Amino acid sequence: MGAIQRIVQWSRVKSPWVIHFNSGACNGCDIEIVASLTPRYDLERFGVLLKGTPRHADVLLASGPVTRQIEDRLLRIYEQMAEPKFVVAVGTCACTGGVFQGLYNVKGGIDRILPVSAYIPGCPVTPNAIIDGVVKLLASLENPPKKASAG
Amino acid sequence: MGTALIQILVFPGLLFLAVAGLAGEFIDRRLYARFQNRMGPPWFQPLADFIKLLSKEELVPDGADRGLFRLMPVFALTAVVTAFFYIPLWGTSALHAFSGDAIVVLYLLTIPTFTYFLGGYTSKSVYALLGSARTLTQLYAYEVPLFLAVLGPCLLAGTWSLSELTLFFQARPWALAANAAGFVIALIALLGKLEKVPFDIPEAETEIVGGAFTEYSGRFLAWFRLSFDIEMITGASLLAAVFLPFGLGLGFAAGFGLYLVKILFLIALIALIRSLVARLRIDQMIGFCWKVLAPVAFLQVIVNLVLKGIFFS
Repeated sequence: MGAIQRIVQWSRVKSPWVIHFNSGACNGCDIEIVASLTPRYDLERFGVLLKGTPRHADVLLASGPVTRQIEDRLLRIYEQMAEPKFVVAVGTCACTGGVFQGLYNVKGGIDRILPVSAYIPGCPVTPNAIIDGVVKLLASLENPPKKASAG
Repeated sequence: MGTALIQILVFPGLLFLAVAGLAGEFIDRRLYARFQNRMGPPWFQPLADFIKLLSKEELVPDGADRGLFRLMPVFALTAVVTAFFYIPLWGTSALHAFSGDAIVVLYLLTIPTFTYFLGGYTSKSVYALLGSARTLTQLYAYEVPLFLAVLGPCLLAGTWSLSELTLFFQARPWALAANAAGFVIALIALLGKLEKVPFDIPEAETEIVGGAFTEYSGRFLAWFRLSFDIEMITGASLLAAVFLPFGLGLGFAAGFGLYLVKILFLIALIALIRSLVARLRIDQMIGFCWKVLAPVAFLQVIVNLVLKGIFFS
């Protein structure tokens, strides 16, 4: 890895701007996401800033199972983000569909629609878990995990 | 030619201003965080943000004027850096000075606001359009008090040159006391220019996602953010030159240190105001600027005229 790529990688790890999207959650996880951005948890320590527009954001914090109605919107928000971009599934419903799995109007977890980089389970997730998940995602960017050997 | 290039690109030009701007942003954000009883970002945060934005993909929305959309950030950056050359910093003379540079500096500091408007206007997004309309509306509110506030000291000194202005006040420091009200007005107007709380109405994140910059990403957003940072340094330098021109004859090292102290003081004031108050509505902002700031600024001009008639005629 060249020096410039190393600097760029460093800057990406140190400055993740997030956008928060509710893809059909019951609002429990959304309240916890907002709570984790308050001065009490002070996510700006890690360079995390909440952005209103997908154009500025690097990380999409999506909460809740994907409903059929929100599917197009979720895709559109994801398409509007500039590369490189990451998706974090926040909450059990976002990871697998949770208690809503199998409903006629629910597609399932976020990973049915988008490539997900990190899963944060919990119902609802605590702010501590969200911070831990985001920090682990950033750490995995710095030292990418080795691909599991085939078989 | 060689020295001119170094002055423009390195010191006190683009490179120095970029470092000062990023440092200023860090100090502003850190103080804001400390006032809110939290840790705040590490010292390299603005630099990391800048490099990350430079390395990101840049998207131009469909239907936008591609040339205008790409040019506007460069225009904003150029205008604020150019304005910096005409402001006396640590000596009594600016890098380039001529009679009338006070007007040129104020004019150059207006250009970034217009680039924010045009950039937002051409993005073809409803949020960006709303943000740019608010940017222009706000411009008509704070610009008149700012111009009047700078006009006061200029009238007193009887010159339109910032360098001659600092010379005048250097000889008569007590005359500065007459412009205390003007200083407060100019500081409040600067908050509007920099779109800081309580005047961050154009980019109000909770209402109109990102204002005029909603559709900007990657490199273009990085230039816009840098131009905001440098505008803060340039605006603070202008206020320091017009309202706090003391200790300018100390030579380079001490003068430069004193200049940094003045800029730090102004940035700390901005951060303090930012953490003390909440965002105003656009009508409240315009009402405040036209009903309170502008009359006080007029009064300041009259006081200066009377003083000039009594003492300096």
